[in-house]
Amino acid sequence: MTIAIEASPAGPQMPGMQPAGRDRRGSWIPNGRMIAAKILELRKRRGLMIALIAVDIGLPAIFLAVRLISHAVDPKSYGPAGGYDVFTPLVSNLMYVFGFIVAATLGCTAGCSDLSDGVFRHLVVTGRSRLALYLARIPAGTAIFAPLVAVGFAIVCVVCVYAAPTTLSYQGVAVPQGLSVTGFETWAEAHYSEVICDFPYPGNLGNFPCGPNGLISPTGAAAGGVTTTPTAEYKAAAVKIARFNYDSYKNTFLVPPVSLMIESGLWVELEALTGFMIGLGLGSLIGQRTVSVILMIVLELIVTPIVARTPIPHLVNLQRAIVGVSTAHLEPKALVPVFGGGGGPGAVSHSVPETTKEAAFVIVCWLVAWSVIGARRMMKRDV
Amino acid sequence: MTATGTEWAVETHGLTKSFGQNVAVNDVELRVPRGCAFGYLGPNGAGKTTLIRVLLGLTEVDSGTMSLLGHEVPKHRDIALARVGAIVDEPRFHAHLTGRQNLEILSASREPESRRRIAPALERVGLSQRADDRVAEYSMGMRQRLGVAACLIGDPQLLMLDEPMNGLDPAGMQDMREMIKSLVEEGRTVVLSSHLLDEVERTCDAVAIVDKGRVIRQGSISELLAGSSLVVEIECSDSEQARSLVEQGRPATQVTSGPEGIRVTLPTGTSREVIATLVRDLADGGISIYRVQPIQTSLESWFLEATSRFGAQS
Repeated sequence: MTIAIEASPAGPQMPGMQPAGRDRRGSWIPNGRMIAAKILELRKRRGLMIALIAVDIGLPAIFLAVRLISHAVDPKSYGPAGGYDVFTPLVSNLMYVFGFIVAATLGCTAGCSDLSDGVFRHLVVTGRSRLALYLARIPAGTAIFAPLVAVGFAIVCVVCVYAAPTTLSYQGVAVPQGLSVTGFETWAEAHYSEVICDFPYPGNLGNFPCGPNGLISPTGAAAGGVTTTPTAEYKAAAVKIARFNYDSYKNTFLVPPVSLMIESGLWVELEALTGFMIGLGLGSLIGQRTVSVILMIVLELIVTPIVARTPIPHLVNLQRAIVGVSTAHLEPKALVPVFGGGGGPGAVSHSVPETTKEAAFVIVCWLVAWSVIGARRMMKRDV
Repeated sequence: MTATGTEWAVETHGLTKSFGQNVAVNDVELRVPRGCAFGYLGPNGAGKTTLIRVLLGLTEVDSGTMSLLGHEVPKHRDIALARVGAIVDEPRFHAHLTGRQNLEILSASREPESRRRIAPALERVGLSQRADDRVAEYSMGMRQRLGVAACLIGDPQLLMLDEPMNGLDPAGMQDMREMIKSLVEEGRTVVLSSHLLDEVERTCDAVAIVDKGRVIRQGSISELLAGSSLVVEIECSDSEQARSLVEQGRPATQVTSGPEGIRVTLPTGTSREVIATLVRDLADGGISIYRVQPIQTSLESWFLEATSRFGAQS
């Protein structure tokens, strides 16, 4: 039996028939159907999608769920599941780093799947521009990783806001929230033992021996919360220490502020976008997923932390050119510094000095360069 | 004649493509008429697939000009390929997707109407029942059929099929043969690259023979065979004596003997009268003749003859 194929408007017999006017096949701009087709191809990769969901949503969700359950079962031993103190390390250590890796994995897959599956030649034979075929992968991949990162981040935000502690903890000491400088100093006078023993201070204010329960009086008896005769010397020292810590204190919150959550969300999405775009270019260049993914993991987990922490005098410009150093530079200041930069909450420290403009320039260069490399390779590749 | 109104579906002039020192396509002059099944024949490594890849823009050409359906390629590649369907090497697809989803992905790069052709194309290649199974579960033959369906969704005027019989069972090969014929009957042009000479002979109207990257002959199969030598099989009583008699009388003639008789290969252009004389000479020599049968030269024997001649010359 012969089944007729619906002929084109002009019919198959018409010699030299032109494609329909709305089908701009030679254009480098991908159409919506091409993007939707690429989304279909990527989202049907079961293993990849499970990995993406597990890392972007599963890891933070499980971590917070365990904390919620632990706190509900034994609130004295386990602190609240949320709050600012949980938010910052979760975002800067987990979501930032792993968001990059999973987005890079998606990018590498998007870059080489058509090639490795032998479908790219079918696509080229349609007459469609190779550049359009490459560019269709960018919105398609973004449409997958961006919502996943957003959902994972939203879970973190919700838990950190609604399961936050009721008292503010600064350096492990319960402190009222929102005090002015004067208020903070007054509070420090009243709680000089905790302030002297628990708050950081770079200089030497005198001999204040601390024990497990606070200050130890010269006679050896426990002072602080136990002693009933605070001295003016203790109070003066506590005020100085409080003044030094005030900037850090004012960036410590019970719950992450809305502005911080927005900034952090955008920062994590930027990192994921960077990972995806570099992975896409690298995957298209190499045409092989495993090698590309390994290189991306090495970049994020080995090269970037080493370069970010250790400034090398004559190579500092080269270090600035590493994209991970630049995205780390754009980290919101109230987060725990990524890659263990040190300094504590509110004191983002980057060993490699760099201005924000330089950081933005480096990121844009990486995104453009890898897009050009990937696109050019796909345009010139023998398939 | 306008550029698009040309009588050739494929036309190349001086097409050359090298990979390092290896010249895969060497100064190829090829003309494929519209509306026919055209065989592209050659031994392994002759450059058949490379030529198809060059024509389709899958690899860049070093020199020469080419056109598909009257459109210069690569200048008007998008317009030309809009009405071309092709299977190059083995048809490969996203194994994690179903056959239908793979076709949907390919149709997204074609005109919007191509999506409506997916179901009829699957029906035509006999894959409707398995269209929603993952391609990973398909046999090689089913992938070949899916490859043909992928060609059909573009409503092609020109189909280029590289070894389409690979992986097909006899019934599948028969179906493919009929499908190619029906496509040609619809006015489409089919270029069939195959090492199965018998298949090409049965399916195609015209053929080009390629060896070492060069097209050494092209034309209709009947024309090509008309230029080949004449073979006569003679069943007789004493094959060795018969052989020596023929060789004494006609030094230019090639004779082989077997237990049943002899096979005589006469030069191209030999008239039928020569066969009568041959039989008379054998009878006069005291040999009993039981059967005389002229053997139709097959494309395969002609092909082997042509490629070996060419190889010897080069």
